Amino acid sequence: MIPVGPLRSLPLGCLLGATLLGLAACSRPSPPPATERVLRVSQRNEPATLDPQLATLPDEFFIIRAVGEGLLVPAPGSGDTPPLPGVAESWTVSDDGCTYTFHLRAGARWSNGDPVTAVDFAYSVQRALTPALGAPKAALFFGLKHAAAYHAGRVTDFSAVGVRVINPRTLQLELEHPAADFPVTVASGPWIPVHRATVERFGAMDQRDNPWTKPGHHVGNGPFTLSGWLPAQEIAVRRHAGYWDSARVKLDGIRFLVFDNGDTEERAFRAGQVDVTMAVPFSKLAGYRAAQPSPLRTAPLHETRYLALNTERAPLDLPAVRRALSLALDRSALVEKVLQGGQHPAYSFLPPGLGGYQDADRITEDAAEARRLLAEAGFPGGAGFPVLEVTSWWASSAVLEAIQQMWRRELGIEVTLAQREARAHLAAMAAGDYAIAFVTAIPDCNSVTDLLTDLTSGNPGNYPRWSNPDYDRLVTEGSRLNSASNRLAAYQAAERLLLADSPVIPLYFNTQNFLVQPRVKVWQTDRLWTRFYKDVTLE
Amino acid sequence: MLRFIARRLLQVIPVLFVIITATFFMVRFVPGGPFTAEKAVPPEILRNLEAHYGLDQPLWRQYLNYLGRVVRGDLGPSFKYSNRSVNEIIADKLPVSLELGATALAVALVLGLGLGVLAAVRRNRWPDYLASSVGMLGICVPTFVMGPLLVLFFAIRLGWLNASGWYTLPDRILPALTLGFVYAAYIMRLTRGGMLEVLNQDYIRTARAKGASEVRIVLRHALRGGLLPVVAFLGPGIAGILTGSFVIETIFQIPGLGREFVNSAFNRDYTLVLGTVILYAGLIIGLNLVVDVVQVWLNPKLKFE
Repeated sequence: MIPVGPLRSLPLGCLLGATLLGLAACSRPSPPPATERVLRVSQRNEPATLDPQLATLPDEFFIIRAVGEGLLVPAPGSGDTPPLPGVAESWTVSDDGCTYTFHLRAGARWSNGDPVTAVDFAYSVQRALTPALGAPKAALFFGLKHAAAYHAGRVTDFSAVGVRVINPRTLQLELEHPAADFPVTVASGPWIPVHRATVERFGAMDQRDNPWTKPGHHVGNGPFTLSGWLPAQEIAVRRHAGYWDSARVKLDGIRFLVFDNGDTEERAFRAGQVDVTMAVPFSKLAGYRAAQPSPLRTAPLHETRYLALNTERAPLDLPAVRRALSLALDRSALVEKVLQGGQHPAYSFLPPGLGGYQDADRITEDAAEARRLLAEAGFPGGAGFPVLEVTSWWASSAVLEAIQQMWRRELGIEVTLAQREARAHLAAMAAGDYAIAFVTAIPDCNSVTDLLTDLTSGNPGNYPRWSNPDYDRLVTEGSRLNSASNRLAAYQAAERLLLADSPVIPLYFNTQNFLVQPRVKVWQTDRLWTRFYKDVTLE
Repeated sequence: MLRFIARRLLQVIPVLFVIITATFFMVRFVPGGPFTAEKAVPPEILRNLEAHYGLDQPLWRQYLNYLGRVVRGDLGPSFKYSNRSVNEIIADKLPVSLELGATALAVALVLGLGLGVLAAVRRNRWPDYLASSVGMLGICVPTFVMGPLLVLFFAIRLGWLNASGWYTLPDRILPALTLGFVYAAYIMRLTRGGMLEVLNQDYIRTARAKGASEVRIVLRHALRGGLLPVVAFLGPGIAGILTGSFVIETIFQIPGLGREFVNSAFNRDYTLVLGTVILYAGLIIGLNLVVDVVQVWLNPKLKFE
């Protein structure tokens, strides 16, 4: 008789435990062979697409920039440096600033061996502007002559658009107006070319569900080629031997690991599965800061976080009220006491250094002046001021609570805080159905034009629904000036108007905190979420 | 029995129809859309996108188009993943969720039944107290605490396993343990309760009197009756393991369908929301049917009707 009792069940448990441990011991993840130099970087979002003309998120361009290269590429660092040569080895500008001629490298190759030619770039521009494709970043091509008209369907013949193939190695781009920051636009992600024959082998040019970017189909011209894609896990790229600058590339490959959750990512980093993370959970920041040597890196971003004030809603329609709300804040306390993540207080709307911009005017915080302005607007000591709602979609409650407290203390006014689901919040903002909202502004390329244009009258990014004809004029004129110094002056004047009228309250410039394993050397980024892989080495 | 199953299967059609209709309209009435972004999309580009996906048509026509597609087995294109269809996404991710669910279920059954039988047979003695404590612990400790703790110990401290990912067989261990443990606790308590009730029945005494061995009594007579509450629990339980794996999939970065299900709602990926809802609804209906059949088979007192 088999004894019933502990002995009958315990072996079962032991067996299970032993099996699990045995499995664990025998197939413990083995490190890649010493000769393989594969970088493992993590990111937050599963890429929705690897199509340069359809992608929108930094996470998508992390990979697209590894497997593709535009005419120009952004320069690592703070944003003061103009773009560097990519597929184009040199370029010239006509005296009127309206014609750019790019000279392509002889050695530029697609991953299937075809040469990269001017025709490829012309095709990619046409693709981005084809209405049916619905390219979300099509506006980055609107500087080209007749491009916006072609995109809107008013011009149907693409040969009217300012893109000319002079010969396979010379591409000429003609602009509607001169634009000093045009090279920066050309260096942006959506300008990365696609391989025509590959796109058309798997579908139509304007077909959104064209499967050409799948591994096995994909043909790119970057330092790496796409080698594998495990959905919601990782995208793998291998070194592209035919890349024109491949002698400089030290890595054999990169694995882009997808992590939905920052805590999971941090645990994987501690377990040695990740070389470079996307972020650090706030609760772990202090610990990593204290560690010696610390894997923590802090990189400033050209990313303005601000409060949008709905200027159509009383009493936010009064400039004095808006200014009072802005002047009453203590931004350095917000950054140092609340955020504690190395962010910089924003005393201007445009991030200093973005595209070489320098601000002329800064917000001078002054609680007494704020109280005076509020009284002048008819709310002395906050009396009679309605209770407004401040809405946001991410867990920024500590920041907003601090702001709530500052306004209560300095101005005697009350606001309520509401956190909404992301898209519900954004839809309400777009519809003007809010009073005060927390907004993050990230420029599409290394230029302030984009952020300034967002706040021109009637622009969909103009959440405050603010309108100032002088501002509109300055921004439009500035964007069309060929001289960098004249342009800077126009933009500075526009920003001065913006700060004086205060439809937005800049709070802080964001920072990326992330972790890097000691074995990774020469990890470079810019301030717009671009990562640079060519010089990375592993020890 | 076949007639019973056939009739139940016919009932599935109106149920699914109601679920599809309700989900279709609910997800459309939620504010925000698939192309809503903080970096606002210019209106002319938005129009192109909406035209591409047919979102510019009247809602009733979109609904009829969608129904027509579903009948043909096509769940449509995903809005977020521009070159993947909902069918492809489900085909990619459902097997992962099923594998995770099956492993977790195996853990739950082995642990739960083993401990439950042990606790019932050794009632009010230390094995019972031990098993009951483990059960209480499993019910009390949420997966998002248990998962990271296991990772901390086995992946970071000991370095035996990966902290996350779904590459090799050992990567299944920690997620399956975490997910299975909660259900093991419930199964343990149900088994213990069911067994205790049965062990006091007359027919068990009769079996003992006839000289049946203790093993035979426990496994052949008592367990069969004691399993009834467990089987009743397993229907919704399995559905819960499959649909409720969102937290586990996030903690361990597992490419399963649970995460897609939740994220699709945040992304307003209308077709993916509907596709996963249809799939999960079908699974739950199917599992309930299986449970009903098994219950009749286990309990001679019940009949198909």
